[in-house]
Amino acid sequence: MVENKSGDESNSGRNSGKWAVPTGRRTDEWSECLVLIGNSNDRASFTRFFRHFAPLIKAFALAGSSLSAAHADELVQEVMLKVWQKASGFNPEKAAASTWIYTIARNCRTDMFRRLQKFDTPLAADDLNIELEGEEPFTVLHTRRGSDRIKDLMGQLPPDQAQILAKVYMEGKSHSEAAAELDLPLGTVKSRVRLAIQKLQVQMDRQ
Amino acid sequence: MAKHHPSNDLLMEYAAGSLPIAQAACISAHLSYCDRCRRTYDQLQTVGGTMLERLEPVPVSETLLDTVLARLEDPAPLAYSGQTEASEIPGLLERLINKDFGQLMWKRVTRALSVSYLSTGDIQHEFALLRIAAGGRIPEHTHGGNEMTLVLEGGFSDGRDSYHPGDFIFRSSDDTHAPVALDGEDCICLTVLDAPLRFTSWQHRWLNPFLKLRAG
Ligand SMILES: [Zn+2]
Repeated sequence: MVENKSGDESNSGRNSGKWAVPTGRRTDEWSECLVLIGNSNDRASFTRFFRHFAPLIKAFALAGSSLSAAHADELVQEVMLKVWQKASGFNPEKAAASTWIYTIARNCRTDMFRRLQKFDTPLAADDLNIELEGEEPFTVLHTRRGSDRIKDLMGQLPPDQAQILAKVYMEGKSHSEAAAELDLPLGTVKSRVRLAIQKLQVQMDRQ
Repeated sequence: MAKHHPSNDLLMEYAAGSLPIAQAACISAHLSYCDRCRRTYDQLQTVGGTMLERLEPVPVSETLLDTVLARLEDPAPLAYSGQTEASEIPGLLERLINKDFGQLMWKRVTRALSVSYLSTGDIQHEFALLRIAAGGRIPEHTHGGNEMTLVLEGGFSDGRDSYHPGDFIFRSSDDTHAPVALDGEDCICLTVLDAPLRFTSWQHRWLNPFLKLRAG
C-alpha cells in the first residue's frame, strides 16, 4: 500500500488531473499537514497531526459518555491509523482536514458501537460513503465557500441551538433521542436544528 | 436528475451518523444519484467537522502515540473497492444483492408485485427490493410505520406524481397510496419499512438479537 506514496510523485503526478481546477486549495495548517502525510509518508507531520487531533477524537468518543475510556483510546488508535492509510486520498479542495477526519471518526465510532453490540451486518459504515470523482469545479468552489462560512458562523450560534447540534453531531443522537434527553418536544428540537442550519447558512437548495 | 429528495432532517441525521443502517443505506443510495443532496450533505458534514474542532480536548497519553506510530506500517485492512464499472446500481446495493437483480430470489406477492428481502442486519427495518411489472398496480395500502422508497429502475406513479430512477419518497404511517408502475419497463424500487417492533432508545438501536431479516 505504501509504494505509490514515494516522494517523486509528490504534489503533481497522480493528483494533477483531479486538483487542477483554479479554485484555490486550502492552505490551513492541518490540510497542508495531511497533504504532507499523504504525499510523503511524513511521520513528523503525522505526529503533529496526532497531537492536535487525537485529543479531539477522544473528546468525540467520550461525548454523551457512550464509550468507556479504554474504548475511547481504542477509537483514537483506529481513527489515527485510518488517517495514515487514507491521507493520500485527501483532497484539500474538497474538504477541510477537520471535516475529513470527522467523517472517519464518525464511521469508526458507528462500527465500534455495532461491534460492541455484536450487531451483525454485511456493511461497514465506510461502505455507505459516497466518493464520486470528477466533481465540477463549481461544486467544489460552492462547497468550499459554504464550509468557510460555516466555520465563521459556528461561534455565533445561541447556546440552545449549539446544544442540540452537539447532541446530534458529537453524541450521535437522532432528533427524537435528543428531544427525549433534553426533555423537549420533538418539534422544538427540529425547529432549533432548522434555525441553527439557517444561521450557519448551509445551502439546502430548497425550502 | 432526481426530482424527489430526502428531507433536510434526514440528511442531517445521515451526516451525523445517527440513522439506523437500513435507512442510512437508502439515503446513501440516493446520494449516488443526486448532486444536489450531496452538496447539502457535504456542508452538513462540515458542520460536524467544525464542531469536532471546537470540542474541549481530552488529553491522550504519549504511550498511545507510540502505539500508533509502531503500527503505521501494518497492512491496511482490505476495503471494498466500490462500484464496478458500467453499473447503474448504486455500489453498496450491488454489494448487498451480489451483482444484479436477476440473481435474486423474488417472492411473488401478487400478479404484478414481487419482493426480495435483503439483510442489512438492522432488525428495526425491513430492507427489500420491490419489482412491479410494467403497468402493474399495487393494491391500496398503508403501513404500520414509515416507509422510504428509492426508485432504481423503471418508474411508478401514485396519482400525485410520477417517480423515476434516483427519486426518493418518504411516507409516514398514515399515508395511503396505490402505486402503479409506468408502462414499458418493470419498476424496481428499494424500500425500507419500519419493522412493527420498534426500539427507539439509544442503547437498543445497535442491538441485534438473533433475529435477521429473511435472507434474499
Ligand atoms: Zn436529492
